[in-house]
Amino acid sequence: MKLADPFADGILALLPRLRRFAAGLSRGGAGEADDLCQTTIERALRNRDKWQAGTRLDSWMYRMMRNIWIDEVRARSRRGETFVDEEAGLGIGASGGQDESAALGDVDRALAQLPDEQREAVVLVMIEGWSYKEAAEIVGCPVGTLNSRLVRGRDALLARLGEAA
Amino acid sequence: MTRPTPEQIAAFADGQLEGAEHADVAAAIAADDALTAQVAAHQALRARLSSHFAPVTSEAVPDRLVALLSAPQTDVVDLAQVRARRRGLPRWTWIAGPALAASLVLAVTLGRGGGTGADYAPDQIAAALDSQLVGEQPGDAPVRVLLSFRDAAGAYCRAYSASATSGIACRDGEGWKLQGAASPGAGRANGEYRQAGSEAEIMAQAQALAAGPALDAEAEKAARARGWRGPSD
Repeated sequence: MKLADPFADGILALLPRLRRFAAGLSRGGAGEADDLCQTTIERALRNRDKWQAGTRLDSWMYRMMRNIWIDEVRARSRRGETFVDEEAGLGIGASGGQDESAALGDVDRALAQLPDEQREAVVLVMIEGWSYKEAAEIVGCPVGTLNSRLVRGRDALLARLGEAA
Repeated sequence: MTRPTPEQIAAFADGQLEGAEHADVAAAIAADDALTAQVAAHQALRARLSSHFAPVTSEAVPDRLVALLSAPQTDVVDLAQVRARRRGLPRWTWIAGPALAASLVLAVTLGRGGGTGADYAPDQIAAALDSQLVGEQPGDAPVRVLLSFRDAAGAYCRAYSASATSGIACRDGEGWKLQGAASPGAGRANGEYRQAGSEAEIMAQAQALAAGPALDAEAEKAARARGWRGPSD
Protein backbone atom coordinates (compact mmCIF):
# COMPACT_ATOMS: atom_id res chain seq x y z
CA MET A 1 0.00 0.00 0.00
CA LYS A 2 2.10 2.78 -1.36
CA LEU A 3 0.60 6.16 -0.52
CA ALA A 4 1.07 9.39 -2.37
CA ASP A 5 2.73 11.69 0.12
CA PRO A 6 4.20 14.97 -1.13
CA PHE A 7 6.04 15.56 2.15
CA ALA A 8 7.81 12.19 2.10
CA ASP A 9 8.46 12.51 -1.63
CA GLY A 10 9.98 15.94 -1.05
CA ILE A 11 12.39 14.55 1.53
CA LEU A 12 13.18 11.62 -0.74
CA ALA A 13 14.20 14.07 -3.46
CA LEU A 14 16.43 15.91 -0.96
CA LEU A 15 18.22 12.77 0.24
CA PRO A 16 21.33 13.09 -1.95
CA ARG A 17 21.90 16.62 -0.63
CA LEU A 18 21.08 15.65 2.94
CA ARG A 19 23.56 12.78 2.76
CA ARG A 20 26.25 15.14 1.50
CA PHE A 21 25.50 17.60 4.30
CA ALA A 22 25.66 14.78 6.83
CA ALA A 23 28.96 13.60 5.35
CA GLY A 24 30.33 17.13 5.70
CA LEU A 25 29.26 17.43 9.33
CA SER A 26 30.07 13.95 10.64
CA ARG A 27 33.51 12.98 11.77
CA GLY A 28 32.78 9.27 11.88
CA GLY A 29 32.59 8.25 8.24
CA ALA A 30 29.72 7.23 5.98
CA GLY A 31 27.95 5.03 8.54
CA GLU A 32 27.69 7.84 11.05
CA ALA A 33 26.58 10.25 8.32
CA ASP A 34 23.73 7.97 7.32
CA ASP A 35 22.78 7.52 10.97
CA LEU A 36 22.47 11.30 11.14
CA CYS A 37 20.29 11.22 8.02
CA GLN A 38 18.10 8.56 9.54
CA THR A 39 17.61 10.44 12.79
CA THR A 40 16.80 13.58 10.82
CA ILE A 41 14.22 11.85 8.64
CA GLU A 42 12.57 10.28 11.67
CA ARG A 43 12.34 13.62 13.42
CA ALA A 44 11.00 15.27 10.27
CA LEU A 45 8.27 12.65 9.96
CA ARG A 46 7.29 13.15 13.58
CA ASN A 47 7.21 16.91 13.17
CA ARG A 48 5.69 17.13 9.74
CA ASP A 49 2.74 19.13 11.06
CA LYS A 50 5.20 21.88 12.01
CA TRP A 51 6.35 22.31 8.45
CA GLN A 52 4.30 24.93 6.64
CA ALA A 53 3.36 24.03 3.10
CA GLY A 54 4.69 26.64 0.70
CA THR A 55 7.85 27.25 2.73
CA ARG A 56 11.14 25.69 1.78
CA LEU A 57 11.47 22.08 2.78
CA ASP A 58 15.21 21.99 2.11
CA SER A 59 16.23 24.68 4.60
CA TRP A 60 13.78 23.19 7.13
CA MET A 61 15.49 19.81 6.78
CA TYR A 62 18.99 21.30 6.89
CA ARG A 63 18.15 23.18 10.08
CA MET A 64 16.80 20.01 11.65
CA MET A 65 19.87 17.99 10.71
CA ARG A 66 22.22 20.70 11.95
CA ASN A 67 20.43 20.86 15.31
CA ILE A 68 20.50 17.09 15.75
CA TRP A 69 24.20 17.04 14.89
CA ILE A 70 24.99 19.79 17.41
CA ASP A 71 22.95 18.02 20.10
CA GLU A 72 24.78 14.75 19.48
CA VAL A 73 28.20 16.37 19.44
CA ARG A 74 27.47 18.09 22.75
CA ALA A 75 25.96 14.99 24.32
CA ARG A 76 28.99 12.94 23.36
CA SER A 77 31.44 15.44 24.68
CA ARG A 78 29.49 15.54 27.96
CA ARG A 79 29.73 11.77 28.16
CA GLY A 80 33.38 11.93 27.24
CA GLU A 81 32.92 9.53 24.37
CA THR A 82 34.47 11.76 21.78
CA PHE A 83 37.09 14.38 21.99
CA VAL A 84 38.84 16.46 19.42
CA ASP A 85 42.55 16.04 19.75
CA GLU A 86 43.79 19.55 19.18
CA GLU A 87 47.28 18.35 18.29
CA ALA A 88 46.42 15.56 15.91
CA GLY A 89 43.15 17.28 15.19
CA LEU A 90 41.19 14.12 14.72
CA GLY A 91 37.77 13.29 16.04
CA ILE A 92 38.16 9.98 17.77
CA GLY A 93 34.91 8.07 17.93
CA ALA A 94 33.91 5.70 20.68
CA SER A 95 34.19 2.64 18.47
CA GLY A 96 36.54 2.08 15.61
CA GLY A 97 37.23 5.78 15.35
CA GLN A 98 40.93 5.41 15.01
CA ASP A 99 40.67 3.05 12.08
CA GLU A 100 38.21 5.29 10.37
CA SER A 101 40.20 8.43 10.88
CA ALA A 102 43.31 6.73 9.56
CA ALA A 103 41.44 6.22 6.32
CA LEU A 104 40.37 9.83 6.04
CA GLY A 105 41.69 11.89 3.18
CA ASP A 106 43.40 15.26 3.53
CA VAL A 107 40.19 17.21 3.13
CA ASP A 108 38.32 15.13 5.72
CA ARG A 109 41.24 15.42 8.08
CA ALA A 110 41.48 19.17 7.70
CA LEU A 111 37.73 19.60 8.15
CA ALA A 112 37.76 17.36 11.23
CA GLN A 113 40.18 19.74 12.89
CA LEU A 114 37.85 22.70 12.66
CA PRO A 115 35.79 23.72 15.68
CA ASP A 116 32.14 22.80 15.14
CA GLU A 117 30.96 26.36 14.55
CA GLN A 118 33.54 26.89 11.81
CA ARG A 119 32.97 23.48 10.34
CA GLU A 120 29.24 23.99 9.93
CA ALA A 121 29.76 27.42 8.35
CA VAL A 122 32.29 26.03 5.87
CA VAL A 123 30.12 23.04 4.99
CA LEU A 124 26.93 25.07 4.52
CA VAL A 125 28.48 27.72 2.30
CA MET A 126 31.37 26.06 0.50
CA ILE A 127 29.98 22.57 0.02
CA GLU A 128 26.23 22.98 0.22
CA GLY A 129 26.18 26.30 -1.61
CA TRP A 130 23.89 28.28 0.73
CA SER A 131 24.21 32.05 0.74
CA TYR A 132 25.60 33.64 3.91
CA LYS A 133 22.11 34.79 4.84
CA GLU A 134 20.57 31.35 4.35
CA ALA A 135 23.41 29.61 6.17
CA ALA A 136 23.05 32.04 9.09
CA GLU A 137 19.34 31.23 9.28
CA ILE A 138 20.04 27.50 9.32
CA VAL A 139 22.60 27.92 12.10
CA GLY A 140 20.55 30.54 13.91
CA CYS A 141 23.23 33.24 14.16
CA PRO A 142 23.72 36.73 12.70
CA VAL A 143 25.11 36.94 9.16
CA GLY A 144 28.22 38.77 10.37
CA THR A 145 28.96 35.99 12.84
CA LEU A 146 28.57 33.38 10.13
CA ASN A 147 30.88 35.39 7.88
CA SER A 148 33.64 35.63 10.46
CA ARG A 149 33.41 31.93 11.42
CA LEU A 150 33.68 31.13 7.75
CA VAL A 151 36.81 33.24 7.37
CA ARG A 152 38.47 31.60 10.34
CA GLY A 153 37.52 28.17 9.07
CA ARG A 154 38.81 28.90 5.60
CA ASP A 155 42.07 30.31 6.85
CA ALA A 156 42.63 27.17 8.90
CA LEU A 157 41.82 24.96 5.92
CA LEU A 158 44.11 26.91 3.62
CA ALA A 159 46.92 26.64 6.13
CA ARG A 160 46.46 22.87 6.39
CA LEU A 161 45.76 22.05 2.79
CA GLY A 162 48.25 24.53 1.38
CA GLU A 163 47.69 27.72 -0.52
CA ALA A 164 47.40 25.74 -3.72
CA ALA A 165 44.26 24.12 -2.36
CA MET B 1 40.23 53.49 -0.18
CA THR B 2 40.27 51.42 3.00
CA ARG B 3 41.70 47.97 2.70
CA PRO B 4 39.00 45.27 2.53
CA THR B 5 38.64 43.11 5.64
CA PRO B 6 39.26 39.35 5.45
CA GLU B 7 35.47 38.92 5.78
CA GLN B 8 34.90 41.15 2.77
CA ILE B 9 37.48 39.30 0.71
CA ALA B 10 35.89 35.95 1.49
CA ALA B 11 32.41 37.33 0.81
CA PHE B 12 33.63 38.74 -2.49
CA ALA B 13 35.10 35.36 -3.45
CA ASP B 14 31.75 33.75 -2.61
CA GLY B 15 29.76 36.26 -4.64
CA GLN B 16 28.01 37.53 -1.52
CA LEU B 17 28.65 41.26 -1.83
CA GLU B 18 26.25 43.67 -3.44
CA GLY B 19 26.07 47.26 -4.62
CA ALA B 20 28.59 49.84 -3.48
CA GLU B 21 30.38 47.41 -1.16
CA HIS B 22 30.92 44.99 -4.03
CA ALA B 23 32.24 47.76 -6.27
CA ASP B 24 34.63 49.06 -3.60
CA VAL B 25 36.00 45.65 -2.72
CA ALA B 26 36.31 44.60 -6.37
CA ALA B 27 38.31 47.75 -7.11
CA ALA B 28 40.61 47.21 -4.13
CA ILE B 29 41.24 43.60 -5.08
CA ALA B 30 41.89 44.41 -8.71
CA ALA B 31 44.51 46.93 -7.63
CA ASP B 32 46.39 44.53 -5.34
CA ASP B 33 48.02 41.31 -6.53
CA ALA B 34 48.17 39.86 -3.02
CA LEU B 35 44.42 40.31 -2.58
CA THR B 36 43.77 38.86 -6.02
CA ALA B 37 45.76 35.79 -5.01
CA GLN B 38 43.73 35.47 -1.80
CA VAL B 39 40.49 35.49 -3.75
CA ALA B 40 41.87 32.83 -6.08
CA ALA B 41 42.90 30.70 -3.09
CA HIS B 42 39.40 31.00 -1.60
CA GLN B 43 37.83 29.95 -4.85
CA ALA B 44 40.24 27.04 -5.31
CA LEU B 45 39.48 25.86 -1.77
CA ARG B 46 35.77 26.00 -2.45
CA ALA B 47 36.20 24.02 -5.65
CA ARG B 48 38.29 21.42 -3.85
CA LEU B 49 35.77 21.00 -1.04
CA SER B 50 32.78 20.79 -3.31
CA SER B 51 34.44 18.30 -5.64
CA HIS B 52 35.53 16.22 -2.64
CA PHE B 53 31.91 15.81 -1.50
CA ALA B 54 30.25 15.79 -4.93
CA PRO B 55 30.42 11.98 -5.32
CA VAL B 56 28.12 11.56 -2.30
CA THR B 57 25.21 13.01 -4.25
CA SER B 58 25.57 10.49 -7.06
CA GLU B 59 25.82 7.47 -4.76
CA ALA B 60 22.80 5.22 -4.44
CA VAL B 61 20.88 6.25 -1.34
CA PRO B 62 20.94 3.40 1.19
CA ASP B 63 17.73 1.36 1.30
CA ARG B 64 17.28 1.94 4.99
CA LEU B 65 16.82 5.68 4.37
CA VAL B 66 14.49 5.25 1.42
CA ALA B 67 12.45 2.74 3.41
CA LEU B 68 11.76 5.35 6.09
CA LEU B 69 10.00 7.48 3.51
CA SER B 70 8.49 5.08 1.06
CA ALA B 71 7.01 2.35 3.25
CA PRO B 72 6.61 3.56 6.82
CA GLN B 73 3.71 1.19 7.39
CA THR B 74 5.86 -1.90 6.95
CA ASP B 75 8.87 -0.66 8.87
CA VAL B 76 7.28 0.95 11.85
CA VAL B 77 8.22 -1.59 14.44
CA ASP B 78 11.85 -1.62 13.43
CA LEU B 79 11.82 2.12 13.31
CA ALA B 80 10.44 2.51 16.77
CA GLN B 81 13.07 0.15 18.10
CA VAL B 82 15.86 1.90 16.31
CA ARG B 83 14.66 5.22 17.56
CA ALA B 84 14.34 4.04 21.13
CA ARG B 85 17.83 2.61 21.02
CA ARG B 86 19.36 5.65 19.39
CA ARG B 87 17.73 8.29 21.46
CA GLY B 88 17.92 6.44 24.72
CA LEU B 89 14.18 6.72 25.23
CA PRO B 90 12.63 4.83 28.11
CA ARG B 91 12.15 1.25 26.97
CA TRP B 92 8.40 1.27 27.50
CA THR B 93 8.05 3.81 24.72
CA TRP B 94 8.42 1.21 22.04
CA ILE B 95 7.39 -1.88 23.93
CA ALA B 96 4.08 -0.32 24.84
CA GLY B 97 4.09 1.89 21.76
CA PRO B 98 0.81 1.28 19.95
CA ALA B 99 -1.36 0.76 23.04
CA LEU B 100 0.22 3.69 24.78
CA ALA B 101 -0.26 5.94 21.79
CA ALA B 102 -3.95 5.12 21.73
CA SER B 103 -4.43 5.69 25.43
CA LEU B 104 -2.65 9.01 25.38
CA VAL B 105 -4.66 10.13 22.40
CA LEU B 106 -7.81 9.32 24.32
CA ALA B 107 -6.60 11.14 27.38
CA VAL B 108 -5.92 14.24 25.33
CA THR B 109 -9.23 13.98 23.55
CA LEU B 110 -11.12 13.57 26.81
CA GLY B 111 -9.40 16.56 28.28
CA ARG B 112 -10.58 18.78 25.47
CA GLY B 113 -14.16 17.64 25.71
CA GLY B 114 -15.53 15.53 22.89
CA GLY B 115 -18.78 15.83 21.03
CA THR B 116 -20.57 12.52 20.70
CA GLY B 117 -18.84 10.93 23.66
CA ALA B 118 -15.54 10.02 25.10
CA ASP B 119 -15.05 7.13 22.70
CA TYR B 120 -15.67 9.21 19.59
CA ALA B 121 -13.58 11.69 17.67
CA PRO B 122 -14.32 15.30 18.63
CA ASP B 123 -16.04 17.56 16.12
CA GLN B 124 -13.02 19.05 14.40
CA ILE B 125 -11.42 15.68 13.81
CA ALA B 126 -14.69 14.05 12.84
CA ALA B 127 -15.31 16.76 10.26
CA ALA B 128 -11.91 16.16 8.71
CA LEU B 129 -12.47 12.40 8.70
CA ASP B 130 -15.83 12.89 6.99
CA SER B 131 -14.59 15.20 4.27
CA GLN B 132 -10.84 15.04 3.58
CA LEU B 133 -9.27 12.73 1.03
CA VAL B 134 -5.69 11.67 1.66
CA GLY B 135 -4.47 12.72 -1.76
CA GLU B 136 -6.29 16.05 -1.98
CA GLN B 137 -6.06 17.64 1.46
CA PRO B 138 -4.01 20.83 1.87
CA GLY B 139 -0.54 20.29 3.30
CA ASP B 140 -1.30 22.65 6.16
CA ALA B 141 -4.68 21.16 7.06
CA PRO B 142 -5.12 21.32 10.87
CA VAL B 143 -6.11 17.66 10.84
CA ARG B 144 -4.35 15.49 8.30
CA VAL B 145 -5.74 12.14 7.30
CA LEU B 146 -2.84 9.71 6.90
CA LEU B 147 -4.63 6.79 5.30
CA SER B 148 -7.93 4.98 5.06
CA PHE B 149 -8.61 1.25 5.30
CA ARG B 150 -11.27 -1.25 6.30
CA ASP B 151 -11.11 -3.34 9.42
CA ALA B 152 -11.98 -7.02 9.71
CA ALA B 153 -15.67 -6.16 10.19
CA GLY B 154 -15.71 -4.11 7.00
CA ALA B 155 -15.96 -0.73 8.76
CA TYR B 156 -14.04 2.17 7.28
CA CYS B 157 -11.20 3.38 9.46
CA ARG B 158 -8.97 6.38 9.04
CA ALA B 159 -5.68 7.29 10.67
CA TYR B 160 -5.18 10.98 11.32
CA SER B 161 -2.69 13.40 12.76
CA ALA B 162 -3.34 16.81 14.28
CA SER B 163 -1.12 19.14 16.26
CA ALA B 164 -2.21 17.88 19.68
CA THR B 165 -3.40 14.40 18.94
CA SER B 166 -3.28 11.60 16.43
CA GLY B 167 -4.89 8.23 16.19
CA ILE B 168 -7.26 5.99 14.33
CA ALA B 169 -11.02 6.17 14.22
CA CYS B 170 -13.50 3.77 12.62
CA ARG B 171 -16.94 4.78 11.42
CA ASP B 172 -19.93 3.16 13.08
CA GLY B 173 -23.59 4.09 13.38
CA GLU B 174 -22.86 6.92 15.81
CA GLY B 175 -19.76 8.52 14.44
CA TRP B 176 -15.99 8.08 14.29
CA LYS B 177 -15.15 5.70 17.12
CA LEU B 178 -11.63 6.04 18.43
CA GLN B 179 -9.62 2.86 18.48
CA GLY B 180 -7.65 1.75 21.51
CA ALA B 181 -8.29 1.33 25.21
CA ALA B 182 -8.89 4.35 27.39
CA SER B 183 -6.71 4.74 30.43
CA PRO B 184 -6.20 7.44 33.00
CA GLY B 185 -3.05 9.06 31.78
CA ALA B 186 -3.62 12.78 31.83
CA GLY B 187 -1.11 15.25 33.17
CA ARG B 188 1.93 14.38 31.10
CA ALA B 189 3.96 16.88 29.23
CA ASN B 190 3.03 17.67 25.67
CA GLY B 191 6.20 16.24 24.27
CA GLU B 192 5.34 12.82 25.59
CA TYR B 193 1.99 12.76 23.88
CA ARG B 194 3.68 13.73 20.69
CA GLN B 195 6.30 11.07 21.14
CA ALA B 196 3.80 8.32 21.88
CA GLY B 197 1.43 9.38 19.15
CA SER B 198 4.04 9.64 16.44
CA GLU B 199 2.93 8.70 13.00
CA ALA B 200 5.06 5.60 12.78
CA GLU B 201 3.22 4.13 15.73
CA ILE B 202 -0.15 5.14 14.35
CA MET B 203 0.82 3.37 11.16
CA ALA B 204 1.70 0.25 13.16
CA GLN B 205 -1.76 0.34 14.71
CA ALA B 206 -3.34 0.77 11.30
CA GLN B 207 -1.46 -2.20 10.03
CA ALA B 208 -2.70 -4.31 12.92
CA LEU B 209 -6.33 -3.24 12.41
CA ALA B 210 -6.51 -3.31 8.63
CA ALA B 211 -8.04 -6.29 6.90
CA GLY B 212 -6.62 -5.35 3.51
CA PRO B 213 -4.57 -2.72 1.73
CA ALA B 214 -5.09 1.00 2.25
CA LEU B 215 -7.80 2.55 0.11
CA ASP B 216 -6.60 4.18 -3.06
CA ALA B 217 -7.92 7.57 -4.17
CA GLU B 218 -10.87 6.08 -6.08
CA ALA B 219 -11.94 3.83 -3.24
CA GLU B 220 -11.68 6.72 -0.78
CA LYS B 221 -13.88 8.88 -2.96
CA ALA B 222 -16.47 6.14 -3.26
CA ALA B 223 -16.42 5.55 0.49
CA ARG B 224 -16.87 9.26 1.17
CA ALA B 225 -19.83 9.34 -1.24
CA ARG B 226 -21.45 6.61 0.85
CA GLY B 227 -20.82 8.48 4.09
CA TRP B 228 -18.09 6.03 5.12
CA ARG B 229 -20.71 3.42 5.92
CA GLY B 230 -19.79 -0.19 5.38
CA PRO B 231 -22.06 -2.66 3.60
CA SER B 232 -23.30 -4.01 6.93
CA ASP B 233 -24.68 -0.66 8.13
